[in-house]
Amino acid sequence: MFSAEVMTLIVKVVLALIPLLPLLAALWIAFGFIFSWNRLEAGEKQTSQVALGAISLSFLLVLVLDIYAIAYGVPSETIKLGQWLSSGQYHVDISFLIDYKSLVMANLIGFITLVVTRFSINYLHREAGFQRFFMMLSVFSTAMFIITFSGNAFFTFIGWEMAGVSSYLLIAYSWHRDVATNNATRAFVTNRIGDAGFLLGIAFSLFWLSTVDWLEMSYVITSKIHIGIILFGFIIAALAKSAQFPFSAWITRALEGPTPSSAVFYGSIMVHAGVYLLLRAEPLLVQVPSLMIFVLLMGLITVIYAYIVGLVQTDVKSSFMFSTMAQVGLMMVWIGLGWFELALGHIVVHAVWRAYQFLHAPSFMQHVERPASPVPKWLSKKTWLYTAALQRFWLDGISDWLLTKPTRKIASEVQIFDEQVVDRITGIPSHLNMLSTLSHWEAHKKGTFTVSNEVGVGRGFFGKSLELLASMAEFLEEKLILKGSGEGLMSGMNFVGKYLELVDKLLTQPRYVLVLIMATFVVVL
Amino acid sequence: MLSSLLILLLLPLVGAVIIGFLPNSKPQLIRNIAIVTSSITLFYAIYLITLGDVTPTDHGLWQNYHHTWNTRMGTSFSLGVDGFSYPLVILTTLLVWIAVLASKAINHHPKGYYLLMLVLSSAIMGVFMARDWALFYVFWEATLIPLFFLIDRWGGQGRQTAALNFVLYTMGGSVFMLLSLLVLFDATGGQSFSFEAISEGAKHLKASDQVLIFMGLLIGFGVKMPIFPLHGWLPLAHVEAPSPVSILLSGILLKMGAYGLIRAAAMLPDAAHTLQPLLVVLALIAISYGSLLAWKQSDLKKMIAYSSVAHMGVVLLGISTLNTLGMTGAVYQMVAHGLVAGASFMLIGLLYERTHTKDINDYGSLLHVTPRFAFFTIFAFIAGVGLPGTAGFVAELHVMIGSFQHWGWIMVVLAFGIIVSATYSVRTIKRLFTGPAKQSMKEIDDLRPTEVLAAAVLMVGVMVLGLYPSLVLDLISPAVHDFIEQVAVQAVVKEH
Repeated sequence: MFSAEVMTLIVKVVLALIPLLPLLAALWIAFGFIFSWNRLEAGEKQTSQVALGAISLSFLLVLVLDIYAIAYGVPSETIKLGQWLSSGQYHVDISFLIDYKSLVMANLIGFITLVVTRFSINYLHREAGFQRFFMMLSVFSTAMFIITFSGNAFFTFIGWEMAGVSSYLLIAYSWHRDVATNNATRAFVTNRIGDAGFLLGIAFSLFWLSTVDWLEMSYVITSKIHIGIILFGFIIAALAKSAQFPFSAWITRALEGPTPSSAVFYGSIMVHAGVYLLLRAEPLLVQVPSLMIFVLLMGLITVIYAYIVGLVQTDVKSSFMFSTMAQVGLMMVWIGLGWFELALGHIVVHAVWRAYQFLHAPSFMQHVERPASPVPKWLSKKTWLYTAALQRFWLDGISDWLLTKPTRKIASEVQIFDEQVVDRITGIPSHLNMLSTLSHWEAHKKGTFTVSNEVGVGRGFFGKSLELLASMAEFLEEKLILKGSGEGLMSGMNFVGKYLELVDKLLTQPRYVLVLIMATFVVVL
Repeated sequence: MLSSLLILLLLPLVGAVIIGFLPNSKPQLIRNIAIVTSSITLFYAIYLITLGDVTPTDHGLWQNYHHTWNTRMGTSFSLGVDGFSYPLVILTTLLVWIAVLASKAINHHPKGYYLLMLVLSSAIMGVFMARDWALFYVFWEATLIPLFFLIDRWGGQGRQTAALNFVLYTMGGSVFMLLSLLVLFDATGGQSFSFEAISEGAKHLKASDQVLIFMGLLIGFGVKMPIFPLHGWLPLAHVEAPSPVSILLSGILLKMGAYGLIRAAAMLPDAAHTLQPLLVVLALIAISYGSLLAWKQSDLKKMIAYSSVAHMGVVLLGISTLNTLGMTGAVYQMVAHGLVAGASFMLIGLLYERTHTKDINDYGSLLHVTPRFAFFTIFAFIAGVGLPGTAGFVAELHVMIGSFQHWGWIMVVLAFGIIVSATYSVRTIKRLFTGPAKQSMKEIDDLRPTEVLAAAVLMVGVMVLGLYPSLVLDLISPAVHDFIEQVAVQAVVKEH
């Protein structure tokens, strides 16, 4: 139909548009809010139409890609759009990768975000943060499409972070409540641990493999240890994002956000991003069996953990969450066993089901006919396990004790050092020309307020040294240069002038004039 | 045929003569004529660059006008400009224009004031254009007369003392300069005072003689520049002079000293090489001493005056390296400081006209009352620190690299000076524009349109030179190249 070149160009444009459209929608909504053309209830229609339109178009474009893949076969190659940065021998491209994994994932994301966006229009009607919600949902869609299609780890990370930030903002959707903001912070910080792993993975890839391109990375032949270290970073990132043990605690806190966001983020899409990352790293992963066992173990622990804790949950959303965690743990197990296709299939099935379930959660109670089954006998008999399950195995407490407390202690010690030592050396900046006390204010009202003469006064060690030096210079200037030579010159002139005046006066008297004339004659003769 | 340089030199004098025939009772007319004259001079000076006949010829010398005065004495009326002097000529015309624009507050004896201003601008241009040492000296002394009267009649409280002090200091220096020139003239055969003849003759002098002669010139130029400890006239004169005259004093008069020093170094390369350590020590003292004292001042004008000492120290530092980068930086710094100091003195002067106080403690919260003042003043102070994007940055960078090549780590002193300058600049900004609103500062007029124009021209100049340095660098570089060649070659010849 078209020549190959035109075809690639079309694919490129389509690929670029898929993540770009929701992003543009988000920008449109944001600007609309700033310049108030979509505020309040009147703006809801426009806002939702923009968001829904963008995500629908994106989904449509994904379908176009599907047709292309069916017609011409899955390309399974990196499509380069341009260079993002180049420094020395390192370069990072803006590139996309289309293979069966990314296509499947993109269809899933397109479909679910479309459904959730549509659902939210009714769900959030007349909510104060309507525009904000749709903006963040659009950003999230962009982020997930980027993670899916990105051809290199660097670009994946950009999507990864965008997803993290939009998740943070959605958990803190009701920002005026302490619980919401605390939970948002908690979730975000936990995710940052994973991000650190991701960054390490990228850095070591650049260092040892000289590339971050997913396909190229799998071709490079290097030592197993290097691959292992790189992979370990990515695995940490994946475990954190997918709320696997020991990072599980954040995800239940994330339920603070509005229900549709819980559905899309933690029920069905973002929670799978970790699994998808490991799928991307498949060629690397198969080279290091010990790490596959590690993934398997973590998955297994998560399954057991989520199963036991899930049994004792009493609210709908939490039970769903632990069940999700267990399912994702199972996917990790599949990956650990090397069944990557199964994991992908599991993602799709689980995501669709879970999205339905989560969206359903608010009206769940009306649909259940019999009461929830009680905690099984074997668990209720073992008191210690029961307590542990109720407390969710103290994961929050342990991380507090291991990380938060020491950090806080170090911080307070550093602050003491800063106040006692550094501030004394450098001196704190002055605020002395401000009205700081009541008496200042009164003086100011009366018009008698004057700031103390602090010109030439320094604070801290450096300030004091400067002051000392300046005083010495000023002493020199006053005594030597201004008084000594400036005024000295003047007084000297005055002194000489006085005598010259005397001579002049004497010369005007006739007898001295005669003497002078005679002296002249003497000299001449 | 009239040379274009001669026309440039005579243009302000024509205006002065016209003003001379006008009665004192028409101040607005007098002022307008002065503005027109200085504008024409400015445009003519810029126009000369674009003119075809101002092209680099031998020794980077562009325009030349020669008329022998006295064959027996060997003096001649000889004009010419090169890469060192032409930027300064343009700077002179620009700052005179600015100073005239900023002179609205001069309300008594306007005739004498504007007449002297125009005469002064001619004399300064003459210093930069002269190609004959005798002529140079004549113009050098000629600047003193209008300046003396300008300070003495239109200055502040202590104007008489300041004017006398200024003239005595400069005359004292000039005596040494004249002595040196006469010795030089005598030692080089006594044929001619022209730059070429003298420097040709100076080649055959012994190094020790060269050093003695150079020391005399150094004292003469050092008073003007000023070099520590010969700067005693500067704070007093800058504070007491009327603000427009402060602009000229700090903006151009100081550059005359540095310019003379460059010419002297080119003429006596052996002495320059021998005295390099002395120059660098003096420069570093000036930089740290000037900035420390500026930091200590609560009088705004005094603060800028001392900061000028520090900035001229940077020029001296550049000269002391005797290498390409350092010299380029020195000339660049002269232009940059001319613009920045001009802007600072103008704005502070205009502020003083409105508030009648120069003490920084009396100010506060002007940001709301006079936003235009705040904008331009903050810019001027930031430019004084030499932030990237301003002309001072290019100059200081050149000087810093050049002097690092030659002197090494001792350049930390320069960095120290820059830090202190940042300290007092930021402090001044804070004191002037933030803090609680003062009762006495609530009704101050903001900048008038002509003043905005003057400040904006300076600001644009500072930014253009900061962002597009090659405009001036291209002008300077042939002269610097010749200078380096002359100084280096002669030093090598002497060694063999």
